[in-house]
Amino acid sequence: MRIAAHDGLYDAADDPPRLRGVRCADCDAVAFPPFAIGCEVCGSEAIAPAQLAGAGTVHSVATVHLHGGKDIAAPFTIAEIQLDDGPLIRATLVDVVEADAIGARAEARWCVTRVDDDGNEVVEPRFAVKA
Amino acid sequence: MTAPLSALRPVHVIGVGVHPYQKPSDTPYTALGVHAARAALADAGIAWTEVETAYTGTATTAMGMSRLMYRHLGSTGIPMAQVENASASGSTAFRQACIDVAAGIAEVAIAVGVDKPLKFGMPGSAAGLHDLVGSRVAPFTHFALLANRYLHDHGATPEQFAMVAVKNSRNGALNPNAQRQKARTLDEVLAPPQISGPLTRLQCCPVGEGAAAAIVASDDAVRGLGLDAGRAVRVLSSASRSEIIYRGENFDAALTRETTAVALADAGVTAADLDVVELHDAFTVEELLYIEAMGLAAPGKAAAELAEGQFDIGGRVAVSASGGLLSMGHPIGPTGVGQICELTTQLRGEGGERQHPGARVGLAHMVGVGAVCVVHVLAAP
Repeated sequence: MRIAAHDGLYDAADDPPRLRGVRCADCDAVAFPPFAIGCEVCGSEAIAPAQLAGAGTVHSVATVHLHGGKDIAAPFTIAEIQLDDGPLIRATLVDVVEADAIGARAEARWCVTRVDDDGNEVVEPRFAVKA
Repeated sequence: MTAPLSALRPVHVIGVGVHPYQKPSDTPYTALGVHAARAALADAGIAWTEVETAYTGTATTAMGMSRLMYRHLGSTGIPMAQVENASASGSTAFRQACIDVAAGIAEVAIAVGVDKPLKFGMPGSAAGLHDLVGSRVAPFTHFALLANRYLHDHGATPEQFAMVAVKNSRNGALNPNAQRQKARTLDEVLAPPQISGPLTRLQCCPVGEGAAAAIVASDDAVRGLGLDAGRAVRVLSSASRSEIIYRGENFDAALTRETTAVALADAGVTAADLDVVELHDAFTVEELLYIEAMGLAAPGKAAAELAEGQFDIGGRVAVSASGGLLSMGHPIGPTGVGQICELTTQLRGEGGERQHPGARVGLAHMVGVGAVCVVHVLAAP
């Protein structure tokens, strides 16, 4: 079975991947990653979970050669994705791309980061840029 | 009723001093800080016993570090405290010293920025926050994302980013307190190692150790202590803001635009009046973004104007005459105070080989993780 590499950010049973965000009941602001303490726009405590589609537009990209991550080998490309459902998020891309990918559509798909001792696939959503 | 700094008692920088920024060494922070403080006292021509309050800008060294340092100047019992505001720690310590003098709480106050790169605790991890990228995104990748977006928006080239480091290395080579002392060519700046996006190693600032000190005083103190008013640099304004929700606009640039606008308005000047600017050029792309956000160039025009030499020493407005964070270095706590030291030197006309001719009005700008922004405007005596 699939297991999420990050707790609380998505449900590995979804297909295609969706992201767990929050929506403010008072001002309608949507945020990812999720938080429960208070809305960063208006301060309201009326925050509810919101499922966000893993689809959006590439706002920027950077191909990383130096980093502190333990579970991925450089080079890889980090993107800022303007999600259709609101927030600007950061995610890893499936492929290494250059700055001409800015403005393109991107969609999340599951990537296996490792296989655990019980044979489970540990997965995270990465985004694929559509040509 | 509230009032900006400019409506309170006049504040003057009367003495500045720096311990060279350098790679981490065995020198204790106490020795770094006292070196800078003694240099500032000597520059002002006053004794430590005249200083009535002390603020220490620091973010990466230790808790409660002020008294262990200042005791080596003599234990006078004055109030002292650490000011932590990420990269803007030194700027915020200086602001607090100015506020004390402006409000009449003190006649003479000192801000000392001092740090050794011992511990870097980030607030997100302390809060238990995590996202999809974690430690795959180091600070330079945050700015590499900005750099590629700038390329996309303005048709700029990676060489134009690199030109920022070429200029600032030329200035840093003239600054004996700079961590990077070598003037670099475009080829050298563009050479590997590639770090992230278009950023190469020499387009990222060095984080080492050092110290910088600035002493501020009231009109009464300048007169009463018999100081040379011709070397007292006026603090025209102090502005500090934090990030709001900008909905699409880059927050580093938007926060810089807002905070700079407040500082210029309180000072009664415009961007066109600025002669010398020290800004948060931790990564090359930032200098171009902030030049535009401050109103020193139209959006998308900073790179071309930089290439023309408009931001050189002797150009339209000297940007990062000290070498900036890219060449003077960014030891965190000292950095914002070091900018005040550079502006003071320039506005007194004491810049030697780095002197920008006719420097009358200067601006210092830092942003810090959070995000926060602190801007000061200073004027020649």
